[in-house]
Amino acid sequence: MRVNIVMPKMGESINEGTIIKWHKKKGDKVQKDEIIFEISTDKVDTEIPSSEEGTLVEIKAFEQETVEVGEVVAVIETESDAASNADQEEQKSEEKVPSTKQVGGDLIDIPMPKMGESVMEGTIIKWYKKVGDNVESDETLFEISTDKVDTEVPSPVKGVLAEIITNENETVEVGEIVARIKSSTGISYGKIEDKKAEPQKETAVAAKEETTKKSSSTAEIYLDKPVSDRFYSPVVLNIARKENIPFDELERIGGSGVKGRLTKKDLFNYLEARKSGSVTKPRPTEYQSKPSQKETVKFEASETQTTSFGNIDVVPMDNIRSKIMEHMVKSRDTSVHVTAMIEVDMTQIHNYIERNKDTFQNNEGIKLTYMPFISYAAINALKQFPFVNASIEGNNILVKKFINLGIAVAVEPNGLIVPNIKNADERNIRGLAKAINQIGQKARNKGLSPDDISGGTFTITNYGVFGSLFGTPIINQPEVAILGVGTVTKKPVVVEVNGVDSIAIKPMMYLSLAHDHRLVDGMLGGRFLKAVKDTLENFDINLV
Amino acid sequence: MSKKFDVAVLGGGPGGYVAAIRAAQLGYKTAVIEKENLGGICLNWGCIPTKSLLRNAELYDLMNNHADEFGLKVEGLSFDFSKIIKRSREVSEKVTNGVEFLMRKNKIERIKGYGKFKDKNTIEVFDDKEELSDTVSADKIIIATGAHPKQIPSIPVDRKKIITSREAMSLDSQPKEMIVIGAGAIGVEFAYFYSVFGTNVTIIEMMDSLVPVEDKEVSQTLERSFKKRKIKIYTSTKVLKAEVKSKKVKVTIEKNGKEEILEADTVLNAIGVEGNVDGFGLEKIGVEVERGHIKVDKSTYQTNVDGVYAIGDVIGPPWLAHVASAEGIYCVEKLKGLNPPLVGYESIPGCTYCHPQIGSIGLTEEKAKDEGYEIKVGKFPFSASGKSAAIGEREGFVKIIFDAKYGEILGAHIIGPEATELIAELGLAKSLEADFETIVKTVHAHPTLSESVMEAAANAYGESIHI
Repeated sequence: MRVNIVMPKMGESINEGTIIKWHKKKGDKVQKDEIIFEISTDKVDTEIPSSEEGTLVEIKAFEQETVEVGEVVAVIETESDAASNADQEEQKSEEKVPSTKQVGGDLIDIPMPKMGESVMEGTIIKWYKKVGDNVESDETLFEISTDKVDTEVPSPVKGVLAEIITNENETVEVGEIVARIKSSTGISYGKIEDKKAEPQKETAVAAKEETTKKSSSTAEIYLDKPVSDRFYSPVVLNIARKENIPFDELERIGGSGVKGRLTKKDLFNYLEARKSGSVTKPRPTEYQSKPSQKETVKFEASETQTTSFGNIDVVPMDNIRSKIMEHMVKSRDTSVHVTAMIEVDMTQIHNYIERNKDTFQNNEGIKLTYMPFISYAAINALKQFPFVNASIEGNNILVKKFINLGIAVAVEPNGLIVPNIKNADERNIRGLAKAINQIGQKARNKGLSPDDISGGTFTITNYGVFGSLFGTPIINQPEVAILGVGTVTKKPVVVEVNGVDSIAIKPMMYLSLAHDHRLVDGMLGGRFLKAVKDTLENFDINLV
Repeated sequence: MSKKFDVAVLGGGPGGYVAAIRAAQLGYKTAVIEKENLGGICLNWGCIPTKSLLRNAELYDLMNNHADEFGLKVEGLSFDFSKIIKRSREVSEKVTNGVEFLMRKNKIERIKGYGKFKDKNTIEVFDDKEELSDTVSADKIIIATGAHPKQIPSIPVDRKKIITSREAMSLDSQPKEMIVIGAGAIGVEFAYFYSVFGTNVTIIEMMDSLVPVEDKEVSQTLERSFKKRKIKIYTSTKVLKAEVKSKKVKVTIEKNGKEEILEADTVLNAIGVEGNVDGFGLEKIGVEVERGHIKVDKSTYQTNVDGVYAIGDVIGPPWLAHVASAEGIYCVEKLKGLNPPLVGYESIPGCTYCHPQIGSIGLTEEKAKDEGYEIKVGKFPFSASGKSAAIGEREGFVKIIFDAKYGEILGAHIIGPEATELIAELGLAKSLEADFETIVKTVHAHPTLSESVMEAAANAYGESIHI
C-alpha cells in the first residue's frame, strides 16, 4: 500500500511549513517513528517521524521548499503491499482487530497524551464514547487521571471510534495508543488506497463487521456490570442491550415505577425523546457532576469482609487517592514540619465584606469571601520574606522571584488538589477573588490543565470552611511553607481603648503556618505570620 | 348534624372502602357514605355471592357428572335451590360485616344514607325516608358510586321475568329455561351455573364469540365446552326485542339477516354495566360526565372540579373491583403527595369463573398483531400436565404472548382448572417486566398446574419439555 506523508499541522495558526532537511532519500527503508524530515514553521522547528514502516518511494517537496499544511510531501510504500496474497490472508485471520494497515479508510491512532513534564503514565478513568460512536473533532473522548490531575481528552479528529485498546481503569504509559478513530476527513496521515487490491476491500468489510460485533459486545459488557444496586427488569435490560444503551446511561434515566424503578415505558419515552433530540446524550459536564454526587453518598465497596467486630467494606483506592497518599508521605519524610499560629482580628475585613458583598456579587458575579484578602496579605508577607517563597534543592536554596500562589481545593468525593495562581503578586483583591474562584471551579469540574498545578511557590489551605479553628497542614512539596486558614468566629476579646481595658465582640480568626524547619526557623515563621496579621488588621480598603 | 373531614368517600364498594382505609392509614380524618351494606356490588351483588353459587355448581357438576370417573357411587343426588341461594347470601353478609369491622378498626366514620352534593365540599346525607340526616363537609371528596347493569328499551327489565344479575343470584326458584343476553363474564358465569342445575340455557351474543374480549382460542375452547353442556349458543346475533307474554318471555333475534323468536320463562339481561352518575348532584357542582361516566385525569383521578375525585366503575371500563381498589389507593396516595406509580392498566388480570375458568392479562394474540408487534406465542395444554390428569381436569391451556424483539410478556391467557389463580404469576411477571427466561428459569413445583405456565413460556422459544 502507498501511504502519503503530508505536511503536518504544527499548531492552530500555522498553515505552512518549510522543509529544511530530508533525513532519508528516495529508495531508503524507513522504520516507523524514524525521523524522515525536518521542518521549520514560524513558531517552531521540528523533526517529523514516519507514520509507517516501508520504503520511501517518492519525495514531492524539496529542501527549503515551503508547502501548505496537509499537502503531500512524500510517499511511502509499505511492506504489506509486497507481501503475497496468501500472507495477507494469514495476516487478516491473525489480526483480531482492524489495524491501520488493513482498513481502507484513515485510522488515526489516539495516544495517551503527555500531561506534563514529569508525568509518565495515565489511567483511563472513563470512556465517553464506545466503539462505533461518531466522534466530533474536539469532543471529549475519554477522561484520564494522572498523578497530578484528572483531565478530559478531546478527539483530535472527526470520525468513528473504531477501537478501544485501553479499557477503563487501565494505566498506560504516555504515548501508548489507547484507541483508534476511523477518520471521516483523513487529514493527518493521508493514505492512498490501492484500488486494484480487491482482497483489501474484503478485509475492510471484515473489519467493519468486526467493529460492529465489537460494539454490540461492548454494550453487553457494560450491561453485565451493574454499577449501582438499582433494579432493572429483564425487559428493560433486553431493551437496553438491543438499543445499545450502556449502563451508566441507564443510571441517569428517571424511573416512574415503584421506588423510582425504571420501567419499560420510561425507557421507551427516553429513547423516543432522544431520537427526537429533546434529550441529548448527557454532556461531559453532567457526566462529572452526577457520579461525584453519587460517590459522596457511598463508596463502591468491592467486597465486604466480616470480622468479629462487624462488617468491613473493602474499597479499592482510586488513582487520585493513592497519589495523595504518596504525596503526603513524601512531604512528611522530606520536610521538618513545625507549625506556628496567630490570632487575627478580622473586624475591618468582615465589615468591608458585609457592606460590599451584594455590590461585588452584582458586579463580578462571584461571592466576596475572606480568601482574596488573606491571599493578598500572604503575598505581601512573601515579598517581605522571600525565603518563605523558596524551595530546597540539594545544598542550594532556590528563592523564587515570582509568586505562584497555590490554593488547596477539596474535590468531592475524596480528592484534594492544589492549583496555583500564576504571578499572584500582580493581582489586586478583585483579581485574586476572580482567580481563586476560577481555579476552584476548574478543579471541581476536572478542567485543570497540567500548567495549573505546576510551578507553585507557596500554598494556602482554608480548612476554616469546614468550621475548623486551627490545623497543622502538610507542606505542598517542594515548597517550604503552607498557610492554614481557620474559620472566622465572633468572640469576646479584650481591647484597650484610651488606656482602659474593655471587652468587645470581634470576628476573630486563627492562622497557622506550617513551615519546613530546614529552611524556615521559628523567627522567620513568626515574623511572616505577624506580617500577614498586620496587613489584615490594618487593611487599606482603597486597595480593593 | 354537620361533620368536617379531610377526605369523604361517596360509595362504600371495593373502590370506596379501600380508598377510605388507605386515607385513614395516611392520617386523614375520613368518612365513607353508603346507603346499603359496605362492599358495593362486589361483596353484596357480584363477585363474592356469585363465586359462592359457582362453588355449588362445581361440586354438583362433579358429583352429578364425574362421580363414576373417580369411582364414587352417588345415589339419590339432589339439591335445594333455595338453600344454595341462602348460602350465597350468608357468605355475602359475612364478608360485608368484615368490611364494617375494618372501618371501625381504621377509625373511619361510616355514614349510612344516600349522599348528594350540596356544593363541591359538602355532601348532604338522606335516610330511607329521604330526610336529611347528616351534612358532611370535606376538603377532598372521592366519588366511588360504582355502576349498575345497563338497560336498553328493547329489553325491558321487570326484575321477575326479565331480570339482571342481581335477581339472578337471588331467585326464589330455579327457572326451567333461561335466555342469557350477553356472553361477557357475567353472562357465561350464570349460563354455566344454571345449566349445571338443569336449566335449559340459551346464550345470545352480538359479537362473533363467547367472552369476546378474550383471546380467540380461549373463546373457542369455552364454546366447545359449553356445547358439551348442551348450552345453546347464538353468536353474531342481535336481540331485537324481548317481551313478556303471559308466563313466557319472547325474545326476537336476528342472525345473518334472519329473524327468529326464542322463548323462555326467564331472560337475563347481561349486556354490561354503566356508571352511577345520576341523582346525587354531579350537575350541581359541574362535574363533567361523558357517555355515562365521570371524566377524570388518570394521573390524579381528579374530575374537572377542583378537590372532587372519582374512581372505580363510575369512571368507566374496565369495570373490575380490583381496578377500583387500585385506583382508590393511588388517588389517596397521590393526594398525600406520595409518588405512587400509575395504575398499570395494561397489566390488569381479568377472570371469569365459569367452568372451565378463564384468567387473562394483557394483549390477546390478535390485538398484539394489530398493534404491530412481532410476536412469539407459547402454548401448553393442560392435557399434557400430570397434575391436570390427576385431578381429572384436562380441558384448556396456558398461552403466553411474547414480544419477539425485547422478550416482553405482552399477554397471557389461561383457560382451564384454577385459571383464575394461575394468572397471578403472570400478572407479577408482567408488572415486573420479566421475560421468557425469567419464567422458564424459575423452578416451578411438581406436580402443579403452575408448571404449565413455565412450559408455555418455554414453548414460545421451542424449549418446552413435556410437549
